[in-house]
Amino acid sequence: MSKQKVDTEVDSVKQRGDVSQDSEQQEYSVGEILKQRGVSRRDFLKFCSAMTAAMSLPASFAPSVAQALDEVKRPTLVWLNFQDCTGDSEALLRAANPTVGEIILDILSVDYHETIMAAAGHQADEALESTITKYKGKYLCVVEGSISMKDGGIYGCTSGKTHLEIARRVCGSALATIAIGTCASYGGIAAGTPNPTGAVGVMEAVPGATVINLPGCPCNADNLTATVVHYLVFGKIPAMDSKGRPLFAYGKRIHDNCERRPHFDAGQYVEHWGDDAHRKGFCLYKMGCKGPATFHNCPTQRYNEKTSWPVASGHGCAGCSEPDFWDTMGPMYHRLPNVPGFGIEATADKIGLGLVAGAAAAFAVHGALNALRKDKEPQEPKEG
Amino acid sequence: MSDSCKFKCYIWELPVRWCHWINVVSIVTLAVTGFFIGTPVSFAGSASDFTMGWIRFVHFTAAYAFAVSVLSRMVWSLIGNKYAGWKEFFPYATAAGREKMNKMLRYYMFVDKEVPETIGHNPLATTAYFALFLLYILMILTGFSLYAQHAPQGVMHKSLGFMYALFSDQGMRLTHHFSMWLIFGFIINHIYSAWLMDIKEHGSEISSMFSGYKFTVKKEK
Amino acid sequence: MARIVVDPITRIEGHLRIEAEIEGGRIKDAWSSATMFRGIEKILKGRDPRDAWFWTQRFCGVCTTVHSIASIRAVEDALKIKIPPNAQLIRNIIMGIQNVQDHVIHFYHLHALDWVDITSGLKADPAKTAALAASLSDWPNNSATYFKGVQDKVKAFVASGRLGPFANAYWGHPAYKLPPEANLMATAHYLEALEWQKDVIKIHAILGSKNPHPQTFLVGGMSIPIDPDSQNALNADKLIEIKRLLKKAQDFVEKVYIPDLLAVASFYKEWAGIGEGVGNYLSYGEFPDAGGNQWFPAGAILNKDLSKVIPVDQGKIAEYVDHSWFDNSAGAGKGLHPFEGETEVRYTGPKPPYKNLDTDAKYSFVKSPRYEEKSMEVGPLARILVAYASGHKETKAVVDLVLGKLGVGAPALFSTLGRTAARGIDCLLVAQQTPKWLDELIGNISKGDYRIHNGESWDPSTWPAEAKGYGFHEAPRGALGHWIKIKDQKILNYQAVVPSTWNASPRDAKGQRGPYEAALVGTPVADINKPLEILRTIHSFDPCLACAVH
Ligand code: HEM
Ligand code: HEM
Ligand code: NFV
Ligand code: SF4
Ligand code: SF4
Ligand code: F3S
Ligand SMILES: [Mg+2]
Repeated sequence: MSKQKVDTEVDSVKQRGDVSQDSEQQEYSVGEILKQRGVSRRDFLKFCSAMTAAMSLPASFAPSVAQALDEVKRPTLVWLNFQDCTGDSEALLRAANPTVGEIILDILSVDYHETIMAAAGHQADEALESTITKYKGKYLCVVEGSISMKDGGIYGCTSGKTHLEIARRVCGSALATIAIGTCASYGGIAAGTPNPTGAVGVMEAVPGATVINLPGCPCNADNLTATVVHYLVFGKIPAMDSKGRPLFAYGKRIHDNCERRPHFDAGQYVEHWGDDAHRKGFCLYKMGCKGPATFHNCPTQRYNEKTSWPVASGHGCAGCSEPDFWDTMGPMYHRLPNVPGFGIEATADKIGLGLVAGAAAAFAVHGALNALRKDKEPQEPKEG
Repeated sequence: MSDSCKFKCYIWELPVRWCHWINVVSIVTLAVTGFFIGTPVSFAGSASDFTMGWIRFVHFTAAYAFAVSVLSRMVWSLIGNKYAGWKEFFPYATAAGREKMNKMLRYYMFVDKEVPETIGHNPLATTAYFALFLLYILMILTGFSLYAQHAPQGVMHKSLGFMYALFSDQGMRLTHHFSMWLIFGFIINHIYSAWLMDIKEHGSEISSMFSGYKFTVKKEK
Repeated sequence: MARIVVDPITRIEGHLRIEAEIEGGRIKDAWSSATMFRGIEKILKGRDPRDAWFWTQRFCGVCTTVHSIASIRAVEDALKIKIPPNAQLIRNIIMGIQNVQDHVIHFYHLHALDWVDITSGLKADPAKTAALAASLSDWPNNSATYFKGVQDKVKAFVASGRLGPFANAYWGHPAYKLPPEANLMATAHYLEALEWQKDVIKIHAILGSKNPHPQTFLVGGMSIPIDPDSQNALNADKLIEIKRLLKKAQDFVEKVYIPDLLAVASFYKEWAGIGEGVGNYLSYGEFPDAGGNQWFPAGAILNKDLSKVIPVDQGKIAEYVDHSWFDNSAGAGKGLHPFEGETEVRYTGPKPPYKNLDTDAKYSFVKSPRYEEKSMEVGPLARILVAYASGHKETKAVVDLVLGKLGVGAPALFSTLGRTAARGIDCLLVAQQTPKWLDELIGNISKGDYRIHNGESWDPSTWPAEAKGYGFHEAPRGALGHWIKIKDQKILNYQAVVPSTWNASPRDAKGQRGPYEAALVGTPVADINKPLEILRTIHSFDPCLACAVH
């Protein structure tokens, strides 16, 4: 790249406000771009091994991941925020392998993301429009947040358009849509009973779109990058379970990978917060841990560069990667949900015990009455 | 046994009796272990104990025994004698059955004084048995669905796909747990009624589930 | 008169729309509208109060933690629970690093591009940039080679023809005033801050299992056990890592953020006279010690009168919905105290797709909280003003230092620039204070105090049939309050009045503007097609709309 060329580019940025639409396109492979940016081959291979591990592939796959990345171009990605809390975007900012800086500058072309993009207002609208027109059927779309369906979707609007309309247009012509977080996957928190805004996930709002769900509240950024890399490397979306989640990240229960499982099997449980068992890292089952009901790779992938995950820090899993977990996994500190129609403290056991006691009492009375009465015994029928 | 019960007839064939007692033993085992699974007590001394592990192992072993037994009984309802037949469980389907049921109900409600004679199943009881069989199936389906989740790509998990579509995971657990109480409710009723009829009918109600024979006033045709 | 719309306002959290009328190159009037609603207050009804923190935490993933804190405090207030000292200290550390990280991200990633033209930095001389940087601080990365590396990286990026998130912006706008060298320096620190923030926030992962949305909060304390002799609890290993990260946080704030802030501000001093706002300020105070005494004082300042700090009374807060898309059973023009608050959404705006809102009628999903019927600004500026006016020692020292370096007086704080500067001051103060809470925690642990939770009222059967309480927290964006009513062990009513609810609020019944709206009035706009100046003033508040509406 000559100095002069760069200067011309800089000027063109200033004059037209945007380079991406007009300038001549030069497509580099991710590998080339990384090299240009001064990322050493060694670091690149390190990244490839991390990705290989994140995708639950054997280590022997690392060279093919590297080779594939050497060949693929920097794909376009647009990120839409709907009924969200931006927690998944924040999770992306905490990504380590690769970092968000590398993602934005080297790996993907993030053409639209309201939380970080420089343009605003109609300039932002134009950036989205031109990207989805120019790369129709070729761009990846990430959706964060649920989509309101009630009352024509007026509970979520951007630039005067409903999120429902935006989602149908943008996800509809994307190569694939990644629903990041439980809100985008299944409606999430906004869909908690009574779901005041008719919030749903992308699959439901945009029938027919190719959607990969990456639930979690927020989604682990490592699972996002692994999904993207999976797509770049294999040219297809990963295998998914019946809830539309990639098996490499959601194929196993928390409970089956949990480091406290030996304590569960042994029968060693935390009984009170801060008790001896809690300090020793015993199983949190009795404190309401939903690990036995939750499919997610938290115990192995962990968060913030593998620093920790909920159970490791002493709090049970809340089941945040499961559809409707907001309604079905509560109350958080009880193992079982409430029996519908009863109060919070009316656990299944209390109601069951009441039921059985009631039955026993009824039969006791019945028995007593029977003991008192005089019956006519069954009679031998007259022969005939 | 009253003097009027002169006729001894073979009612409960061997498979029926076996199934009944396997069910009893496995349900008791499942309930005890299940209760512990639901509300464990921390009494393990070290992490290399395997208390919960064994309890779950017993639960799952009993679960297989139970499932096989329930299935066998269902098959037997197609091939066994008329007392074992599936029609017995729907007494209200025939006029005679309704009449019998009515009598029984009147007796239980202290309306009638005459103890109705039943040779095969008590028609009121079979209705409860039918409900109980539905509970059995529910327990087996929810139980195996929860169980299969340790191997989500396995055959068991795949074939129970419809269950995961019907229930949330926790909903399944709650149903499994709560239905145990419903089974307890049945058992109380059942043992009481067996005892009651044993005394009232003088037909060796209880021992019939061991021997297969009941003693009746009427001669069975 | 031209009416312009900026929607989406980007580089904020959430869905904010600004409509403004421009006359003679200045904003004559402005309206702030939130266009997304979830209704979490409503969804919370009937649930276990001990779970509420987990839900309210999801009001926002940017100021993650803050709603957990307010929520557990509200429940603890209702049930009269006192938490152990260590739990308080752990919460302080979590809140402290949240504040520091949030402010730095705001400055570099959400606000800087309003002042910094990345493309101009490509023409900078790396050696001169290094000299400029070295004149500001002794940060080790201040070398010509370093800046050259960053410049090459950005050049190659631009040359690839794909500007990604930097496309279509206001580059080259006449309101950009920094020399190329300052632009390059800021760009380099934009990238460095991106790396830095993900490291320092690991404190949340150590104490809270993950970030965003840490998961170790509990009504009555924290669920992160303490035991120096266990590998599954907070032990020496983890405490020392927190210490290292806090040091890293403090270094960056002292040697990069504050010098950059001062350098940038010195080129934009006219912004000390723009964007004043409502002139009333509210702060709840924060960082209680074991005895409950707050390090940052609480108080309110009215009409910019720094000579008087009024004590805060939560009873004087009420929310109005006369210009918000909600019904109100109290009737038009009446406010509701949060204990009696309602969230009965009813959209009456135009049918999408729409060009303009009917700003004479209802026009936002944000309610209008008022303190004694007054519109209040909250946030770092309010916090710093209240502390400054209360004579808070540490605050006074830093404020005077910053004002001195910029060569301006205290009234300069009532402005867009003042808000941005106050955030830096706040960040610095907290970055310097947080390590002290860690030391205190370590002190307690070495004395054998491992308590993290008070379980006396954990079991709902111990609760009274009815209870109510509120929890305050001085969040990064300002005064946050949660109010809860509990009946039969369940949530009867839950209401949150959030910093951005105050700041982003639409007009009230009396027509008083919310702080964003008031601050925009008078802001110059050089090119109505590129309203960069609107972004500057709005971003100076660090809006969070998911918070504001919830
Ligand atoms: C009458 C029959 C049964 C009774 C009374 C019974 C009872 C219980 C109870 C009370 C629990 C604890 C539930 C909880 O609180 O989470 C439980 C758990 C369980 N049961 Fe059963 N059970 C029965 C049959 C079965 C069968 C047929 C299976 C099939 C494999 C099964 C598999 C399981 C499993 C896998 C769990 C553990 C669920 C978990 O991981 O939390 N059960 N059972
Ligand atoms: C877990 C406990 C038990 C369960 C779930 C249970 C269940 C059943 C079922 C389903 C039947 C119908 C048999 C068939 O047609 O296959 C039955 C019949 C019978 N059971 Fe039980 N049983 C239990 C315990 C007992 C006990 C402890 C006794 C003895 C005291 C007993 C005595 C009988 C008798 C006498 C019959 C035949 C009654 C009739 O239908 O007229 N059962 N039981
Ligand atoms: N406003 C606001 Fe928050 C903060 N800080 C909440 O309390 O950002 Ni999401
Ligand atoms: S899934 Fe969780 S983190 Fe993501 S937007 Fe929804 S509430 Fe926020
Ligand atoms: S802590 Fe939770 S996930 Fe881990 S073993 Fe115990 S119950 Fe299972
Ligand atoms: S709450 Fe969520 S983060 Fe993992 S441990 Fe449980 S799935
Ligand atoms: Mg509110």
